[in-house]
Formats: sequence, C-alpha cells, structure tokens
Amino acid sequence: MMLRTKRNKLKLGLLEIFAIAVGALYIYPVFLMFNNSLKTFREVIVDVIALPSRLAIENFSTVVKRMNYGKLFMNNLIITFVGIVGIVFFSAITAYILDRTRNRYTKFVQFLIITPMLIPFQTFMITLLKTMNTFRLSGSLLGLGVQYWGFGIPMATFIYTNFMKTIPREIDESAMIDGATTFQTFMRVIFPMLKPITVTVIVLDVMWIWNDFLLPLLMVNSSEKTKTLVLAAYTFVGQYNTQWHFAMTAMVLAVVPSIIFFILLQKHIVKGVVAGAVKG
Amino acid sequence: MKINTKTRTKFETVLFTLPAVILVSMMIYIPFVSSGYYSLTKWNGISKKATFVGLSNFKTILFESPQFLKVLLFTSKYTAWFMVLSNVLALALAILLVQRLKLANFLRGLFFVPYIMSMTIVGFIWKFIFSEGFARLFQMTQWEFFRWSWLGDSKIAFYSVVLVGVWQQLGFYIVLYIAGLQSIPPDVLEAATVDGAGGWKRFFQITLPLLGPSITICLFMSLTNALKVFDIVLALTQGGPGGSTYTATLDIYREAFQNNNYGLGSAKALVFFLVVLLLTQLVLWFSRKREVEI
Repeated sequence: MMLRTKRNKLKLGLLEIFAIAVGALYIYPVFLMFNNSLKTFREVIVDVIALPSRLAIENFSTVVKRMNYGKLFMNNLIITFVGIVGIVFFSAITAYILDRTRNRYTKFVQFLIITPMLIPFQTFMITLLKTMNTFRLSGSLLGLGVQYWGFGIPMATFIYTNFMKTIPREIDESAMIDGATTFQTFMRVIFPMLKPITVTVIVLDVMWIWNDFLLPLLMVNSSEKTKTLVLAAYTFVGQYNTQWHFAMTAMVLAVVPSIIFFILLQKHIVKGVVAGAVKG
Repeated sequence: MKINTKTRTKFETVLFTLPAVILVSMMIYIPFVSSGYYSLTKWNGISKKATFVGLSNFKTILFESPQFLKVLLFTSKYTAWFMVLSNVLALALAILLVQRLKLANFLRGLFFVPYIMSMTIVGFIWKFIFSEGFARLFQMTQWEFFRWSWLGDSKIAFYSVVLVGVWQQLGFYIVLYIAGLQSIPPDVLEAATVDGAGGWKRFFQITLPLLGPSITICLFMSLTNALKVFDIVLALTQGGPGGSTYTATLDIYREAFQNNNYGLGSAKALVFFLVVLLLTQLVLWFSRKREVEI
C-alpha cells in the first residue's frame, strides 16, 4: 500500500513537470512579445530570443506618444461602455417580458431576436456600412457603441431568457400588489436578481467589443480621432514592420488591458465563458 | 378597470420589447435583406443606382470563375483541421489539468491568455516568430525545420495559419472540456476502477460518452469560429502567398471593399451564408444522432 502511494506521488510529480513544460512552451510567444518590447532596436536585430541587457522602458513612452495611446484607450472605453449598457438593459428587459408574457406576439419576437445568432456578421457586412450611413451611425464612437446593441442583443437576450425561468413569478406578483408598475418591478426587483447572469453577459461582451476588429475597421477606421486600440495597433505595426521593438511595444500596449482584465476577473471570465457557450 | 389593465399590459409588452426588435432589425435584418437585393445587381458602392443583373453574379461565382469555390474549399479544409486539432488537443490538456496538480489553477489561466488577446495581435506575434524567431532558432539549433518558409510557401502557410488559429482559441475549448470533465460524478469512475477497468478503457467507455454534451458544444463552436476566420489571416499572411490562404470572409471583404464589386461581394456573402447554414445544421444533426445512440 505504501509503495502504491509512493508510486502515485512520483507519477503525479512527473505529470506536474510535464504540464509545466507544456504550459511554458505554450505561453512562450506571449513572453517573447513582452521580452522584445523591452529591448533596443539593436538588441532585437542581434538576437530576438536573448533577454534584454537593460529594460528599454523608453520604448513605451515613445510608442504611447506616437500612437496617442491615451486617446485610443478612451475611445475603446467609450465604445465598450456604451455598447455594454445598451446590450444589458435592452436584453434584460426584453427577456423579462418574453418570459413573463407568453403569447403569439412574444413568441414571434423571441424568434426574431434570437435567430440572428445563426447569421455570421460577414454575410451582411457589405450592406451594413450603407445601412449605418443611412442611420448616421457610422464614423462615430457613440454610433459604433450603439451598433453593438443590435449585434449583442440576440445572444444576451437568449442567456437572460434562460436565467429568467429560474426567478419565480411570485416575486414580481408581490411587487405589483404593492403598487409597482412593470418597469419599476423590473428595475427594482428583477434586475438586481439577474446580477450573476449580468456579470456573465458583461464579461463576454467586454472581451468581444474591446478586441473586435472587423466592425471598427468598417465603421471608424477612416479618422485618427475615432480609431480603436486594436485598429491603431494594426496600422502601427504595419508602418513599423521593420522596427520590431516599437511594433512589439505597441502590441503589448494593445493586449495589456485585456490581460489585466483577465487577471482581475479570472473566475468570472471562465465561468462566463462556460455559461455563454453552454447556453448559446 | 379590468380591460384597462389588460390593454396596459399589452401596450407594455410591445413597448418594452420594441427597442430590441428595432435594434436587431436595423443592424442585422435590414442589411441582410438588402444584401440579398444587391447580390442581384452590379454596384460599385459609390454610385446612387445599382444595375439589376439577375442571377449573373451567382453564375460568375459558381460556373465562370473558380476562385470563390477555391476559397470555400480552403475555408472548409481549414475548418476541418481546426476542429480536429483544437478538440483533440483541448481534451487532452483538459484531462491533464483536472489532475491533482499543484499548479493546475495557474496553468488553466495560462492556457486561456491567448484567447483574451486580440486575434490581430496574435497574428502579428506569430508573424514575428515565423520570421525573426525561427531564423534565430535555426542559427542556434541548425534544425532544418526552422528554416522552412512558414509563411512564404503556400503548402506550409496553410498549416501555419491552422497552428496560429488553434493556438489562439485552444484555451476556450480547454475551459469547456474542464467544465464537462468536472461534471462527471467521480463515483462512476471509481466504480469502473473497482471493476478493473484500466485507464484507457475508463476513458473510452465512460469519460468520453459522458462528455457527449461538451463535445457537441465544442464541435459546434469550433465549426462556427473556424468558418468565420478573418483577423488572424489578415495579420499573418494577408491571404498570401499568391492568394493561397484566402478565407471566405477575407475574400468577401476584398471583393467589396478593395475591388469595389459590391454586387458580386454580396452574392458571395449569400453563398457563404448558405454554406455556413448547411454545415452547422449538419454538425448539429450528426451530434444529436450520436448523443441519442449513447
């Protein structure tokens, strides 16, 4: 028996070493990006693998200035914030009504809102630009944020509708008896109870909107003022494709917010991703 | 009074669902339907009027120019490789990461990192590795493998694109498989061990069948994600070398926004939509059938 546990321990130890080796190899490309963002131009050219002899922090101040990083960060923040607020509000209230009122109208609405989950964005992106020009939603940060409402509502409504089923009707009935209107009941009673699933929706949509590339490329790429972080990094790396130290710094600056977001909210993100996929 | 409340409820039902309906229609249905109309026209995107040409765009795509069919074939090949590799590797790593390892939690986080990064940046990182990184590794090791033209040779470039695509998304499927593995009741596995089932037997006869729902989800997600691949290819190869890594979405984008053939582009988009619909339904039907058999 003793021998057996000893052998198991050894096996587990070897497995641990193997797992660490695979993990290190897997993450090495990300490490390489950070590594080279901290080197001088000469050091990158001589040896991309070696560690920097001294940390070339000045790369960061240079790139932050050349990219206008502060402005880009704000742009991303505005787009993501506007997008999330609308998606959460409209999806939650729609899901509330769809779950509580069951008739032909709501069934049709549910079908109408959820079906687009099956339509890939790329199949209508060409005419989307024309449509958004007509509605005057292209070319501005606010407009782009509003566009995300339409694209985010199907999945969010679907997730919310599934969760609504778990909230007993007695809760809204008692609120109504106390004289609250439908809207008040939703805002004061139901919405707070949706919190765990709201976190899921927020996490999924932040990851999507913050890193989205194609929609911003179509809608806000023409002006420096409205570019997003990823768009600017894309252009920047294209321009500095021989000055890899600056290119790497720009890439690090583009992904660092996501990595911090992930480290801070790891548990919620993993849970949200599972919930989103299982329910989607 | 009673009628009053009823009318009011009806009014509220419409009022509170209307914003969502309008928004989804504006961003999705209107462009989608007008895409159907423009697929029947010749339109450069600038002039006010599009010329109606009937089904001639579809004739071009399907019979006259094999280019889009080639692109669809590439996308399907990419999708097949992506689905197999990401599911097999993710399941293997998920099994490794549910063992009682001291660093299990840390490693789970580690594998997820590429997934939260922008795909464009991921494409650039690998472009750097394939060119500068591999050149240096060749100097150090003299392994021929590092001297291959990973992005310059059309045959190898295909596998490079697959590799990067899988690398970026693997963490997502690992997380889903871990969730699936953790929902398998441990006593079922213990009972099998007591009955004398070895590791492989336990895996194929108990773990895998019980993972059915997770496998379905992962297959479906990997299918739709692979079919839509765009950013990574744009950053990594821009469709090259010699147009050998053009994906369907990249080709639709180029046809409309670079060649200014909005009509032809819309027609391609519609064909692509039908292909996606067909393949997703096929996979769903197949996995449902398999799950029932179990």
